[in-house]
Amino acid sequence: MAVGQRAIEAAGTGVARPGPLARAREWWEQEHVFGYGLILPALLLIVCLVAYPFGMAIYFSLSDYWVGSPGNFVGLENFRDILGNEVFQRTVYNSFVFTSIAVAFKIVLGVWLAMLLFRNFKLKRLIRGAVLLPWVIPTALSTLAWWWMFDSLYSVVNWTAIRLGIISPPGPNWLGMTEYAMAAVIAVNVWRGLPFFAIIVLAGLVSIPREYYEAAEVDGASSWGRFRHVTLPLLKPVLAVVILFSTIFTFSDFNIVYVMTRGGPVNTTHLFATLAYQVGLNGGNLGQGAAISLFLFPMLAAVVFLQLRYIRKE
Amino acid sequence: MKTTSRREFLRVASGATTGMASWLALGRAPAFAQKRELTMLSWNHFVPAADEELRRQAQEFSKQAGATVRVDTIAHLQLPAKWAAEAQSRSGHDIVHIGGAAPWLYEKSLLDVSGFIDEMGKKYGGWYPFSKESAYTDAGWRGIPWFWISFPATYNETHFKKAGVQTPKTWDELLKVGRVLKKQGNPVGIPISHCADANTTFWSVLWSYGGKVVEADGKTSAINSDKTTQVIEWYKELYKDAMEPEVLSWDDASNNRFILSGKGSWIHNPISPYNAALAKKMPIADEINHHTSPGGPGGTHSAPPIQTLGIWNFSKNAELAKDFLRFHFKKENFDKWIVASNAFNHPPLRDLADHPIWSRNPKFAMLPGEAEFAHPRGWPAKPNAAVSLIDVNYILPDMVAKAVGGMPTKRAIAWAEEQVKLAIQGKLETKGKS
Repeated sequence: MAVGQRAIEAAGTGVARPGPLARAREWWEQEHVFGYGLILPALLLIVCLVAYPFGMAIYFSLSDYWVGSPGNFVGLENFRDILGNEVFQRTVYNSFVFTSIAVAFKIVLGVWLAMLLFRNFKLKRLIRGAVLLPWVIPTALSTLAWWWMFDSLYSVVNWTAIRLGIISPPGPNWLGMTEYAMAAVIAVNVWRGLPFFAIIVLAGLVSIPREYYEAAEVDGASSWGRFRHVTLPLLKPVLAVVILFSTIFTFSDFNIVYVMTRGGPVNTTHLFATLAYQVGLNGGNLGQGAAISLFLFPMLAAVVFLQLRYIRKE
Repeated sequence: MKTTSRREFLRVASGATTGMASWLALGRAPAFAQKRELTMLSWNHFVPAADEELRRQAQEFSKQAGATVRVDTIAHLQLPAKWAAEAQSRSGHDIVHIGGAAPWLYEKSLLDVSGFIDEMGKKYGGWYPFSKESAYTDAGWRGIPWFWISFPATYNETHFKKAGVQTPKTWDELLKVGRVLKKQGNPVGIPISHCADANTTFWSVLWSYGGKVVEADGKTSAINSDKTTQVIEWYKELYKDAMEPEVLSWDDASNNRFILSGKGSWIHNPISPYNAALAKKMPIADEINHHTSPGGPGGTHSAPPIQTLGIWNFSKNAELAKDFLRFHFKKENFDKWIVASNAFNHPPLRDLADHPIWSRNPKFAMLPGEAEFAHPRGWPAKPNAAVSLIDVNYILPDMVAKAVGGMPTKRAIAWAEEQVKLAIQGKLETKGKS
């Protein structure tokens, strides 16, 4: 009504009535319109690219939808089926092993790398940039290189280790043996995720005021003591956020396993995303595929919830 | 300005209305505005020259028939979604490249092409037996077999000569010669891993021993049998005595590398390693040769990829579509297409398979004959969604991998049986009724 009233006032005071363009602008500049207008594009993107597929996934997971035929509603049958399937149980186990080991390595190595990068050394900027490379190159490409390094016939890893006398020839068949294959995919995941970890932790380190360290030194704290009682407590909020992100990325990893093992040998490296892809898209069983991928959701939601609560408490 | 009288206006207007009404009733554009357009959907061929030749034929046919023929190609993984969308909306292309279980899934949306099949069969010396197995449903012919890809044995002649052994005619013989070859330092290789070749070879071996995965009804698991036990015991021996553990991590290109590296002596694969060696002028090309896929007590069988064409029954150009396919299947045209594909596309008709590209090269001469014992996956069952699930979930190679990894054979088979049963669970029957 504000616009209408203003128009009347304008007419009453004898000032010329604003043109339609001006009125449209006036309408647009109201806080509630403009604010929502700014959010709208992002909202549309989220609705189209996140909410809609998510809704469809839920719908698919409750139906016996196959590629090429309209599905019927089957309730929780898909979930019952996959829970009873040994391959899925193995996938759940794999996902936890993969995520926990990979994230643990990334925390330790990431903090370590960040401390190294924090020091002053020659070509600091260049090296800090270069460290990000594994994170920046498309995973599918870098993983291909790793896959080639672990190849059964031409493994560079084995060749080097044999030449160095660490292992005896012919060396392990990395991608063909259960533990080795898991170790290989975890190693690649750590290699890829480490820079992200290190750079964020580095940002955290930079923000710690020097005075704390000086005070600690005055009190006679050793370098371990300074790390333990100054660095670590002050890094906690940053660490919590980066662990949260890293857990999500690692849990939902797809490329590394798909390129290197396709879930083999005998499904011992399958993760939720690769199994869902295999069953839903390759196999055409969209209902079960969706149900498998939806298992990620409650687990990740729990991780997010716990982490966020922890951060808030801090 | 010319004025229009009332009478004149009524005459023109009513004429236009009647015309419009009949046009709407017929549901198509008036004849003067219509040039017939035939559309075909296919995959992006692995040998792109084959698509170019197909398009050239489409153009040539267009001129002859006074119509336009358009060939659309898309990535092969996108085909199933496209069939689904077209069948559901009952519109789209006229001719579609289908395969696997599609003739059954889309039985009610595909045109009966029995007449065309008879005609071509009479003209070109008959269809190979796998044709019927892969396109003939209870309702009749719902697909036209188009081409298949041979899957013979590839071996290194030098290694065989040095070991003083003959090429194996059966899988049992392969085990025997494989033992000798491995001792010589040149093992044989069959993937036992998550790759397509691992499936293909397993089907061949199982059938050769007289085994099957599902009964002919397509709904009953048949994997738990003595035959499967024999096959697994054979795999265990072969793995231990004639192969190396690397086969557990192989992908579809690993066996190519294995034979091209000069280390391997024998693989089961399409002719791609030999073609690659020729193309890259690798000296090993001279040492590589092919022989017929081995057999067993149950005969010789193989599971090569089989490609089919279908015509939608909602196509408005069904006759034109058949005319175009008649044109494409003409010996001179099909020959050109085979050459363009670099001998990759094998015809499903006997006379068309008689082509110098195979007969003049002694290393290829036996390839067309592989068609005699080819079957679609799942045989003796018809191809269906359960069979494709068994394949994409790598249940069969995983069963073998478990057994060679130390799991008792019985338990490995029991595991596979459970997985096969899950794949064929009842709900599949409702498929394809649209």
